[in-house]
Amino acid sequence: MSKLFYLLFALLLCTSCVKEDEQPDTPTGNFEALWQIIDEHYCFFDYKDIDWNHIYNIYKVRVSDNMSREQLFEVLTDMLSELRDGHVNLYTAFDNGRYWSWYEDYPTNFSDTLQRRYLGTDYRIAGGLRYRILDDNIGYVYYGSFSSGVGEGNLDEVIQYLMFCQGMILDIRSNGGGDLTNAEKLAARFCNEKTLVGYMQHKTGKGHNDFSAQEPQYIEPSSNLRWQKKVVLLTNRGVFSAANEFTTYMKCMPQCTVVGDHTGGGSGLPFTASLPNGWTVRFSACPTYDRDHNQTEFGIEPDYNVSLTDEDFAKGKDTIIEFARNILVN
Amino acid sequence: MKILNSILFVLCFAATAANAQNKSHMIGIGPTKVLDTYLTPENFSGTGLTYLYIKEQYDSTRHWSNTIEHEVDLSNTHDRSDNINDLEITYNLYWARYYNFRPVFNGLKLQAGVAANLCTGAIYNMTSSNNPAQARAALNIMPSATATYGFRISNQRFTARYELNLPLLGVMFSPNYGQSYYEIFSRGNYDHNIVPTTFISAPTFRQLASVDWHCSKKWALRLAYLGNYQQAQVNNLKQHTYTHRILLGITRNL
Repeated sequence: MSKLFYLLFALLLCTSCVKEDEQPDTPTGNFEALWQIIDEHYCFFDYKDIDWNHIYNIYKVRVSDNMSREQLFEVLTDMLSELRDGHVNLYTAFDNGRYWSWYEDYPTNFSDTLQRRYLGTDYRIAGGLRYRILDDNIGYVYYGSFSSGVGEGNLDEVIQYLMFCQGMILDIRSNGGGDLTNAEKLAARFCNEKTLVGYMQHKTGKGHNDFSAQEPQYIEPSSNLRWQKKVVLLTNRGVFSAANEFTTYMKCMPQCTVVGDHTGGGSGLPFTASLPNGWTVRFSACPTYDRDHNQTEFGIEPDYNVSLTDEDFAKGKDTIIEFARNILVN
Repeated sequence: MKILNSILFVLCFAATAANAQNKSHMIGIGPTKVLDTYLTPENFSGTGLTYLYIKEQYDSTRHWSNTIEHEVDLSNTHDRSDNINDLEITYNLYWARYYNFRPVFNGLKLQAGVAANLCTGAIYNMTSSNNPAQARAALNIMPSATATYGFRISNQRFTARYELNLPLLGVMFSPNYGQSYYEIFSRGNYDHNIVPTTFISAPTFRQLASVDWHCSKKWALRLAYLGNYQQAQVNNLKQHTYTHRILLGITRNL
């Protein structure tokens, strides 16, 4: 009996606490906490050739414990901007730190004024999709956000409605992303066989190069209605995150042509963490790649790079939609 | 026929003896501390509620007895800035098999054995949209012991009981360090997600101290303290859920 109790006592002695050291809730502590979170979790240091220790030295001298919260916010946002990543944000109660140069530095190439001339007011709505048949028997479908859900029934209805069209224009311009499963569900309507569309990996440790193997990603064809005719995907710089990923998928579909501007990118699946003062930081954690193992973090080049022109705008025409119509008609 | 009668007699006696059991229902409240570095490196603390059901089965013909415990915890915790909330819910099942030693020291009963613990639960971060939740699932083998002592104060009968469950071996679910749930469940990319654990990597332990006041022959009121310290350090991630509860309940002796 005594041996058993000695064993229990020995196990009790071996039992220790699992703890994590916390930084103090001071400007310096919050700076250190943020720098460390990014250092241990961010996934694009090597790809973007960023020396994060060097960044620490640059911004550490700008932090002092008697600075205001606005001053601290400015320093931390500036430091995060060095990552050149639209998925990196600092959320506070008074402002959101952001890096939006991926689309703010470029023409929009999308006008809802022009789009209204094509959609009219009697367009149909199925889940997150707006759609109608244009005058030349081309189907036009607009998906403005992958955060808006779309069901299999919605997709069946849209495809059935556009079934006798010459082709489909699928417009995802200014779609800033959302739920990846919506992107997969939609892409599954454009392939007839299991299609390799890219790769994904994740970090396995705190080191900048601690990554898992790249796992292939496939799109399985939908067992419901599938689109068999030509489809033109319209993109611009506002196509980001899940919409960027959708563009990667559609580039692998044989009947698809991508027209418009370079996409905005954002190929890292984001995670969030919080700082001692309660601010929340979002950052890219899991990189994805196209089927040729290329990074798409800085966007995807379309098959035809087309921009809106002032002449067409004055005529009430969307240059990109008109280019797509030409492809489908010819 | 004689043999059959003998078997039936033994079975009936065994069934009667095996029916000796205590059932306890308890509800408690107390502080909770939560850490999960998959969600954030910050510690969270708050208040939680626990329901605990214990069923102890005795068999006077054998040295071994069984105890089953169901424990449900629900906690609302916040970070030190009070800006961010984590909801934590955990269900623990303990099935223990104890060896009953002969009573010592004037009625002190000691038991020692092994408990199988099934733990499932989740932590939900109310402010995060990208990795808002963490699932908990573990199966543990826990060396366990109890000590029970009956005593009287002013002709009132009391029973004090202490139970200790210690870590030894197990398996648990965990995402890898930076692996998203989308990758695990939507893509089916498994990467070291079922992790064998030991008392070093998952030093989970639990203690329950209680005093029963036997207000009638069958019923007793129970006041208890439950400390459950669930911890793990796997896949370069750290997690713990510490719960301390003061419990009140009733016990029925059958």
